[in-house]
Amino acid sequence: MTDLGKTKLSRRDFLRLLGLGAGATAVGMAAKPMVQPMVKNPSFEARPFADEAGRSQRPWWVKTVDQPTIEIDWAKMNRFSEAYNPETKTGSVRGKGFGGYVGADKEKELNAQSAAFLKKSVQDNKPGYSLKDQALNSSHGLSVAQSFLGPQKAKTPEDWGVSKWTGTPEEAARILRAALRHNGAATVGFVELDENTKKLIYSVDPDGKKLEFTDNPEASEDDTTRYIPNTAKYVIVYTVQMSEETLKRAPTVLGSQTTALAYKRGRQIQGSIQEFLRGLGYMGLGESTTNALGIAPAFGVMAGLGELSRLNRLITPEFGPMVRVFKMLTDLPVAIDKPIDAGIMKFCANCKKCAEACAPGALSFDTEPTWETRGGWNNPGHKAYFEDSTKCMTYWKQVGTNCGVCFAVCPFAKKDKAWIHEWVKATASTAPVMDGFMRTMDDAFGYGVEKDQEAWWHMDLPEYGADSSGML
Amino acid sequence: MSEKYMVEIKKRPWYEWLLWAIWLFAEVSFFQMAVASGVELEPRAATIFWVTFFVLLVVAGVVWFMRRSK
Repeated sequence: MTDLGKTKLSRRDFLRLLGLGAGATAVGMAAKPMVQPMVKNPSFEARPFADEAGRSQRPWWVKTVDQPTIEIDWAKMNRFSEAYNPETKTGSVRGKGFGGYVGADKEKELNAQSAAFLKKSVQDNKPGYSLKDQALNSSHGLSVAQSFLGPQKAKTPEDWGVSKWTGTPEEAARILRAALRHNGAATVGFVELDENTKKLIYSVDPDGKKLEFTDNPEASEDDTTRYIPNTAKYVIVYTVQMSEETLKRAPTVLGSQTTALAYKRGRQIQGSIQEFLRGLGYMGLGESTTNALGIAPAFGVMAGLGELSRLNRLITPEFGPMVRVFKMLTDLPVAIDKPIDAGIMKFCANCKKCAEACAPGALSFDTEPTWETRGGWNNPGHKAYFEDSTKCMTYWKQVGTNCGVCFAVCPFAKKDKAWIHEWVKATASTAPVMDGFMRTMDDAFGYGVEKDQEAWWHMDLPEYGADSSGML
Repeated sequence: MSEKYMVEIKKRPWYEWLLWAIWLFAEVSFFQMAVASGVELEPRAATIFWVTFFVLLVVAGVVWFMRRSK
């Protein structure tokens, strides 16, 4: 009924309008991820750190714990020689180690096979191995200076005529995080070296130089040894993102070159932070070569950046396994971090997707992690899903790349745009009984399938092929 | 002579409102996941979410129409 121009709204109509309004609002919110990139790059969003130490706000299902989700027997662990030792047949399978483990003749044969395969692939214009793919891979061969002591070029506080920077450990952690993130690190954590965690520093670097702790406050290096002052007891651990969209083209040259890109960026960050620390009046001791100084996944676990996994590598809650892990030492006292439990290691017990996808069968199919190592490339003293690195490296030679399929198929390797991923990760953390079902659904939804190599060259990807807003 | 009609309005029980709220939440979720899966370049996941979204929409439409005609 209309009375003097006023419209009387029935309760039924009012509720109907309310419902429509709520529905429209909800649909609008849901469409935000689609519309937002057109109007604003979400990675431009800035916000304060979550605490005084500069930690980021993590999802509620990432729990901080006192002990990592892998068992460690520190008494049985020793510092590991990353350089291959032919007498003990221990050390990395990379470099000289591979020939040591499989024999020089076999190594020579595989290297020749690899070179021939790559050449033929370029000539045949094989997708992912074509000339442009190889050229892209070559772009990462650019030499980025990397050394234990760093460039040593930044002006020191003495040069400025001031005393060195001082602050609380929380402030130090915060400015280091800010500097590292600004230079391209995805996540950052800190570990303090004690009698146990010192065992995660290599006894011998990959290049054969010894790493020795010394009471001398000056870090130094000679022809045989790198000396680490005992005061440099804080480990800066940081990750650099790989491109998930690119690695899903593995094991081709195109797919796996994102690994080389991440290593290149990691080296750049290391040099930058060594200079940053020098500018503050402190030392920054880095990796002399790729994967030098200490056991990267172990430090990543201790720094709370992620959990160890069936890959025997780090899986982070934010980026899954799509990261490379780097570490440095400093004498700047920082607020240290604790390990985390996000249900990742438990999920790995049931999943096994990476092991199934591993063509050479290098990954473990055991349901539970074990103390038993698979070879001299593994460091005993912790429970893990140890891998057969000789099988892995042999396959690398066969496909002419560093593969990466195990990373690509991991259910934690997602872009995290769809709400479902967050729900799955929260469920994995709180209700491991659902892990098997989640794995089945991951297959059913077609995740982890190798993607078309040629299509990659038609894609408008973010810088470095990875969206850094994933964790924010 | 005037004819009289009687219109009976039945109040929906509380649980029916709850079911509609759950349906709305599911629809919003499936819509978001379908769109976002497209952004993630996951075509199979996107298809599954779109199909689920539209099936739920049609089912809800049929239920609404049948109840309305009662």
